[in-house]
Amino acid sequence: MNLERLPNEEKLTLCRKYYLGGFAFLPFLWLVNVVWFFREAFIKPAYTEQLQIKTYVQRSAVGLLLWVAVLTTWITIFQHFRAQWGEVGDSLSFTIPRGTP
Amino acid sequence: KQIFSLTREKKIYINLNETFPCVRLLNATHQIGCQSSLSGDVGVLHLLESEENLDWVLRTGPNPPYMVILESTLFTRPILMKLKNGSSRVAGVLAVQPTSNPPEGFSPHTSCPNENTGVYSETYGPSYAHCNVTMWNPLGTGISYEEFDFPIFSVKDDNDTEVIRRCYMEHNRAVNGSTPQYPLCAMQLMSHMAAVTDTATCMRRNAPTFSLAPDGVCDPLGDANIWASTKPLNSSTKGHKDGVSVVIAATKLDSRSFFFDVAPGADSAATGLVALLAAASALHNATAELNRTILYTFFNGETFDYIGSSRMVYDMAKNDFTVDLDNIHSILEVGQVALGPDSRLWLHSDPVSKRNSSVNVETLVSNLQAAAAGLNLSLGEPNVTQPLPPSSFQRFLLERPIPGVVIENHQTSFTNKYYQSMFDNAEYLKLNYPPNLTPEEQLELVTDSAKALTEVATTVARGLYLQAGGELAQMSRIQADSELVSKMLYTFLVRVNNSWFDQLVKSDWTGVLRNRPTNFYIGVTGQYFSEPALMVQCILANLTGSIANITEGNCQDKKMDKDENMNKDIYSYLWVQGPVRPNSTERDSFCVRSLVRQSKALSPAFELSEYTSKNYSTWAESRWSAIKGRIFLVASHDLEMLTLGVGVGVLLMSLLLTYIVSSKADILFSSGREPTNATY
Repeated sequence: MNLERLPNEEKLTLCRKYYLGGFAFLPFLWLVNVVWFFREAFIKPAYTEQLQIKTYVQRSAVGLLLWVAVLTTWITIFQHFRAQWGEVGDSLSFTIPRGTP
Repeated sequence: KQIFSLTREKKIYINLNETFPCVRLLNATHQIGCQSSLSGDVGVLHLLESEENLDWVLRTGPNPPYMVILESTLFTRPILMKLKNGSSRVAGVLAVQPTSNPPEGFSPHTSCPNENTGVYSETYGPSYAHCNVTMWNPLGTGISYEEFDFPIFSVKDDNDTEVIRRCYMEHNRAVNGSTPQYPLCAMQLMSHMAAVTDTATCMRRNAPTFSLAPDGVCDPLGDANIWASTKPLNSSTKGHKDGVSVVIAATKLDSRSFFFDVAPGADSAATGLVALLAAASALHNATAELNRTILYTFFNGETFDYIGSSRMVYDMAKNDFTVDLDNIHSILEVGQVALGPDSRLWLHSDPVSKRNSSVNVETLVSNLQAAAAGLNLSLGEPNVTQPLPPSSFQRFLLERPIPGVVIENHQTSFTNKYYQSMFDNAEYLKLNYPPNLTPEEQLELVTDSAKALTEVATTVARGLYLQAGGELAQMSRIQADSELVSKMLYTFLVRVNNSWFDQLVKSDWTGVLRNRPTNFYIGVTGQYFSEPALMVQCILANLTGSIANITEGNCQDKKMDKDENMNKDIYSYLWVQGPVRPNSTERDSFCVRSLVRQSKALSPAFELSEYTSKNYSTWAESRWSAIKGRIFLVASHDLEMLTLGVGVGVLLMSLLLTYIVSSKADILFSSGREPTNATY
């Protein structure tokens, strides 16, 4: 969808939808929000709805960074310690590699 | 298999035809055996010349990792341990089998077999535990129980191996200190094992919580015990049988070696079971009037912490077997009985239970001494207060103090120099068949070893007869048949596919009778029995059973025939293939009715799901996808990187060129002036 063709109110509702949707454990919606609306929020010349769009994009960015930090930490810990956790590690795994602990 | 790449593959790779890998086994605490990486380990071939030459592999050689070829004299514990420690530079090991047994002996098994699952422990005869008094297997190096993280394969010394050696000589040999130049001869060995850590982990991963279609990673070792009684016993009523007094005649059915599915087991398994089979045949007509019942039991899996005997004792204790432990009067076990030059056999007994006055071992010993009178062997008791050697009898003693004797050919340590190795074969037993004889003639030849084993079988038979209440006067008519013993030894140790065994085998035998010796490795519990269990079942049924005049349908389906009284709870029926009719391919098959039955030989640890059990065997075998090896020439790493670099460079150049051309397309491809619109 080309944002150029949308009126500003619809841009705002779209940005808001993506922002609210990201709270449903969907950080990729926030990523899309940040990337897609970045130009609209910070680079385009000012218009009425731009302030709200800017806040939504900023908050999406914050939420995204939080998710990235949490997931990176968890994934690093899991990959490193799964073998040592024995039964707990196996019950948390969907596919267990064959031939290695 | 992809067809289109086959011819190119043939030009590059030479596949190794017959390889014997070392596989991974797991128990409650350890994993043993070998592991390769998922797509196989590749290494530059190196033929090890001596132990000092290991330096080239481990430190100085310029082209690690190396695939080490070990001749049989160098397949020793020190060298394998050094390779294990330097395993970052070792891609794998190829062990070449010698053409004859090494004269100094070789045993990869532990020096104290089944140390932790026998009867001697901190609570029972602690001074005898852990081979404190006698080290049973002094030549044991224990390499079968070590863990290697590279593949180890064994190959016979034949034409394929010559190709490998030639490849090494032509390409890899360092001449006078110069480093060998690429391309070098390399080998890839693939034996990726799925299971890790220990049995509990692999059994847990057999059934993971989330997986949609779980792919098993390991299977417990197990198979079947074969047992037969001399008097009919109703097998549908389990538990104690009043008035039944049983003398158990036990032996073991299995063996192993360092490599998977290689277990010739001549002295460690075959001599005992052939002696007991011949004894059963000799006693066949004499046991009906005896007081006690003789129960012949062939235990499977004894090599791996007494799988079969621990299971039978467990069943008996749980009242899940035809008789129970209180029905047992005494136990006679036939161990390794290949006679040495002094023709002596030794009667081992348990010193701890003998102190108990109710345990009467003396009668059993004197019966055996009387049985050996007049025969070409002599029996003795060890003069040291010595514990029992590793034997199935120990598992019975764990439950009850039962009088029993284990007959062995060694007074203290084993005389078997090749205990649980690939060299415990017909050559070790001196079954020397002249090579110019046909297989049929070899089958008929009665070797000296067979005659000696016949004496042992007669002793066992007469001893069992006396112990079961027979009279001394009647004893001399019990005689084992040396031709039968010879044929059985030939079948188990030289060639399974022969005309004698061919007639006895059951007609729905699913395997193919092989032109090689029996493989005594127990393997995993599967649909079908292992080869030795099936063979013993067929042979014992034919030797101790009688021909029943019923049709194949009734015999196979065990349907109740109105005319015959086919009591399935007492008798078992086997449809035997029979002899080939002359001038035809048809066979005169018949039905044999016997008292031979089988019982499950799966460790109680797996029944109870106690995979970390210290009391029962917890051995399991890993699963794998492909096991193969191949040799080929490899280029140097630098050349590979150069080729890759050039390829990437060409790619980038072409992308750049395309971009430049496309951006300047209007200049490059214009024809000079605008074409006129020629409209007519």
